[in-house]
Amino acid sequence: MSLALFHRHVLEDHLSGFEANANPNHLSVVRRPAIFSVLAHRGQGAAVRTALSSVADTHIRDCGPEEWLLVSRTSGAAAVETGVAEIAGASHVDQSDGRVLIEIHGPSVRRILARCVALDLHSDVFVIGASTNALCCHVAVNLARTGDDRFEIVAPRSFAGSLFEELMEMGREFALTASFSRD
Amino acid sequence: MTSYRLGAPADGSGNGLNRAHPLTFTFDGRSYKGFEGDTLASALLANDQMLMGRSFKYHRPRGPVTAGSSEPNALMTIGTGARGEPNVRATVAELYEGLTAVSQNRWPSLSTDFGAVNGLFGPLLGAGFYYKTFMWPAMFWEKIYEPLIRKAAGLGKLAMQADPDRYEKAWAHCDLLVIGSGPAGLMAALAAGRAGARVIIADEGFQLGGSLLSESVSVGGVSAADFARSTVEELTSLANVTLMPRTTIFGWYDDMVFGAVERVQKHVGTPSPDLPMERLWRIAAKRAILASGAEERPLVFGGNDKPGVMTASAMRTYLNRYSVSAGTKVAVFTNGGSGYRTAADLSASGVTVSAIIDARAQSSDVVPEGVRVIRSGAVVDTKGRLRLDGLIAERSGFQEQIECDALAMAGGWSPVVHLMCQRGAKPVWSDDAQAFMAPDVGAAFIAAGSAAGCDTIAACLKDGAEKGAALCLALGFSSYAANIPEVEGDYDPAFAPLWYVPGAKDKAFVDFQNDVHVSDLGIAQREGFGHIEHTKRYTTAGMATDQGKLGNVNTIGIVAGMRGVSPAEIGTTTFRPFYTPVSFGALAGTSRGEHAAPVRTSPLHDWAKKNGATFVEAGLWHRSAWFAREGEKGWRDSVDREVLNVRHNAGLCDVSTLGKIEIFGTGAAEFLNRVYSNAFLKLPVGKARYGLMLREDGMIFDDGTTSRLAENHYVMTTTTAYAGEVMAHLEFASQTFWPELDVRFVSATDQWAQMSLAGPKARAIMSRVVEDDISDAAFPYLAAKTVTLRGGLKARLFRISFSGELAYELAVPAGYGEAVADAIMEAGRDEGICAYGVEALNVLRVEKGFITHSEIDGRTTADDLGYGKMMGMNKPDFIGKRLSSRFGLTAADRAQLVGLKPIEADKEFKAGAHLLKEGASPSMASDQGWVSSVCHSPTLGHMIGLAMLKSGRERYGEKILVWDGLRGSEVVAEVCSPVFVDPDNRKLQG
Amino acid sequence: MASLITCPHCGTRPKEEFSIRGAALRRPDPAASDEVWQAYVYVRDNPKGRYQEYWHHAAGCRRWLVVERDNFSHEVFGVVDAGGAAETKSQARAGE
Repeated sequence: MSLALFHRHVLEDHLSGFEANANPNHLSVVRRPAIFSVLAHRGQGAAVRTALSSVADTHIRDCGPEEWLLVSRTSGAAAVETGVAEIAGASHVDQSDGRVLIEIHGPSVRRILARCVALDLHSDVFVIGASTNALCCHVAVNLARTGDDRFEIVAPRSFAGSLFEELMEMGREFALTASFSRD
Repeated sequence: MTSYRLGAPADGSGNGLNRAHPLTFTFDGRSYKGFEGDTLASALLANDQMLMGRSFKYHRPRGPVTAGSSEPNALMTIGTGARGEPNVRATVAELYEGLTAVSQNRWPSLSTDFGAVNGLFGPLLGAGFYYKTFMWPAMFWEKIYEPLIRKAAGLGKLAMQADPDRYEKAWAHCDLLVIGSGPAGLMAALAAGRAGARVIIADEGFQLGGSLLSESVSVGGVSAADFARSTVEELTSLANVTLMPRTTIFGWYDDMVFGAVERVQKHVGTPSPDLPMERLWRIAAKRAILASGAEERPLVFGGNDKPGVMTASAMRTYLNRYSVSAGTKVAVFTNGGSGYRTAADLSASGVTVSAIIDARAQSSDVVPEGVRVIRSGAVVDTKGRLRLDGLIAERSGFQEQIECDALAMAGGWSPVVHLMCQRGAKPVWSDDAQAFMAPDVGAAFIAAGSAAGCDTIAACLKDGAEKGAALCLALGFSSYAANIPEVEGDYDPAFAPLWYVPGAKDKAFVDFQNDVHVSDLGIAQREGFGHIEHTKRYTTAGMATDQGKLGNVNTIGIVAGMRGVSPAEIGTTTFRPFYTPVSFGALAGTSRGEHAAPVRTSPLHDWAKKNGATFVEAGLWHRSAWFAREGEKGWRDSVDREVLNVRHNAGLCDVSTLGKIEIFGTGAAEFLNRVYSNAFLKLPVGKARYGLMLREDGMIFDDGTTSRLAENHYVMTTTTAYAGEVMAHLEFASQTFWPELDVRFVSATDQWAQMSLAGPKARAIMSRVVEDDISDAAFPYLAAKTVTLRGGLKARLFRISFSGELAYELAVPAGYGEAVADAIMEAGRDEGICAYGVEALNVLRVEKGFITHSEIDGRTTADDLGYGKMMGMNKPDFIGKRLSSRFGLTAADRAQLVGLKPIEADKEFKAGAHLLKEGASPSMASDQGWVSSVCHSPTLGHMIGLAMLKSGRERYGEKILVWDGLRGSEVVAEVCSPVFVDPDNRKLQG
Repeated sequence: MASLITCPHCGTRPKEEFSIRGAALRRPDPAASDEVWQAYVYVRDNPKGRYQEYWHHAAGCRRWLVVERDNFSHEVFGVVDAGGAAETKSQARAGE
């Protein structure tokens, strides 16, 4: 007997009711990202950080000293794991199912996020490429700036429903729409 | 007609009204007209409605005494139904089309209020009346006095319906926060904005400009209001400046964070569902300027609360900003320049000024042409009932009646310094200014303009510009010299103090809102409540919605006079947030109803839902509690069936909520050996071990299993409740105790859907899902390894049990959880598999004597719970070791875990009950222990319990009284082993 | 309503991101006397004023920090990583 197992995204039911046409302010959920926790062992931080930047098709998110999330929208978890496993002095944990990857962008994105996080997200302060762990709508997430008016949130799966609803609520004023991302 | 609207100025300028937009509103059921730009108070005055409320205690008729947020009298309920909001100050409520306002604290109507007879019992209601009048008989307080007082006295009534509106919270960050948008605030914001700083300028009003909107001066060659408008335009054009009208900065908190509430839609007849009604801001500012202006003090004389008596500056605001004259014939009572300016503005608008009564013997203030001045005079009484109708002035012992229907009173100025005093600093009395001035609270937060004691508009403009520029320079911005505009037609608001006019026949009010008059303050001094904080509590001066904004300084001045000391010696009461009342809606934001806290759902939530689960909250988690089937009458039926099915067949339970921590490093084994009380160094790869963690005081902290997946890789499980605490505990131990150990961890709780398959048929079912050999020989009790599911998915399998049955815990990536659980249910259909919830899980573990945090309650040691062998006392160190052997933790009479079963099988008892020897009366001395967990055991057919009993393990077979004082029950039970089912663990290891 | 702590790793954050454990004391040697252990587990000075406390940046980098602050005025004098990984020098108090 072989099991045909369906993979189900935690926000499947939340997103079914939303219109497909994105407004200028839009939230998109990446369906199958690869997300890995990477931990550097004692004294290996700098070397691991350098090695991480050469794992193909991935982005590094800062979590804390000597701890990162390695995120990819395009590579599968298996491919990223192969790359991470080669890094000396590091341990890694697959979190691809344990985290959701939410992108939020648009001209009002900072005004929406100001209702969700306490961080100063001014474009001169939280620059493109910056990332950090922070509270967002009472949930500990990783927040990254990926473009001019573009941010990514990596959040724990168990909180995803609550977090999503809260983000959408804060975006009502700005006609925020939501969908799964196309990639 | 008394108060009325003036015609539009010929040049179309000069005030904040938009006459092109008339608005209709109702007050006490009558329809009125106003204009866009009106407040409710200005619109009512324009319609000759001076009477706006009844006072708190005496039900005296009251009209507005201010034109701003310190208003004590004109409190109304605005809106209807669930949106009805009581105690809104009409003086700041922005008029909108369809606004519905109702007066408060009167019956049957505002003009005929039977409660006003309270005035006859005035002596009973004086200072301390609660404490004196209603002392006896004691039972009368709750049944008679209090309900009566509540009915007679008070403010508006709450709408008893759920608030239909949305609220939200937000953060903002800036270099400079400017609080107030009058002359000083606007110039400070302009200087900082032009220098390139990130500026937020907030004002409680709906039009920015503050006093510039109310004064008749010209600034930079245009009217003050036009100057404000053009400055606001420039600020609006600057991308680095954020303007926040309708936003009250209500508190100054730690680390330069300011609390603010923005009234987003309070001025809208039909609120948009996509916008919040109010928004609570936390503004983190590097620097802040308090440009909140100054409050004009009322004068304290007999009958000073008649509708039509208001501060001179309020009267100017109604006149210049709203084109409303407070009367047709206006008298002025003043101790300084403000009264003369009001007289001049009224005269210029064609309003008759019947007299200026100046308390001073002489002054250089300009007297408007044709206006009579009574120097060294005072108002000693007022005429009229629902509206001022003349006053009695006195000079040199001679009294005369002066005709008037409105009276402006100018009692001097008090800088509005509340925010600066909210963190402990006290305002500082100035003899020069005859006012309390802002304290020095450091260079980051400074006062400017009249809040800093500047007297003229010119001085305020200059002070604001200079301080705004200086603060930006300190932050590293280049200085930008703002050109300070010329002011023409300014006046000198200097005054000589006049705290009160003695010899009043009628009450001379100090605190209008709480009906506190001068003689109340005298009573407080005579009766030993002289300290200003005591005086406040005894008289209620400075309490309720306005918190004494208008009256406190007069209170202090009068008390100082009575005691013959300087106001500096009296000091102020304590300033606390909030500056003005803030709604609970704004403070709660979105955290209400089911959004009160974030919800955590398991990857098997939907699986549980479609199998009929009822959920229970466990911390933030929603866990499946039981799975009801058709025909079951209550939860007990479902739980009994689930338990028996697990004991006889098999069941599947969602255990995804258990904490899962991945642990790596060459020091991981040593680390685990130090955080667990039992040995972990030699745990083989591929094996799980049950472990106990202690607190440093020797008590158990948490329990769980840790499995070694590779030489330097472990996965730890924690209880659901303590997942966060255990993670923080491990981090603390690793980072602060033993940073030299190479160990790293990360939580992977959310990565895995974890399910427990338990029951005698568990292996048969699991082997249909897993490709690996899971025979007892290949995968014995406590085995742990990565397996492959049929079809190829990698998963983790653990042979551990919390039910006493043959059991497996299978962990699969969360997204596959539902599919795998479905597959197991399908694979076990012929074996009669069922889903079981945490209620059945609890019964199964109580039957086996397994512990949870009902037993690990912070007071129990490993030995207390029968785990004494898990204390690795030969290890050199582990957390909790050192204090675990101290006197008291090893005493023979400690409470130990036992089982309980009722002697009569149908008797029940509950957790929390205490244990007594048979025949003993309940007391601390005779207490033998307590019941920690109970359940109905369907396996045994009666109630069972786990309990902590003194020397319990020696007392099996003894009868003991289970005494439940809370619920009033007594049951005799037999003490027994806590393991009720399969004591030899045959099923577990089968 | 709010206060801010400047984490040496993450920058300035609201207090909601942290949890406080209390006095920053060094764990005694396992062989230390009963008195020393008793003091470590149970005895606190609890002064009004300057105090060193363990703060956990639970919603941030998850590092344990030692925050030295005045527990009356909440003036923060410095924040260091408890494991010695980094520190925030005496926070630039506005205007000082």
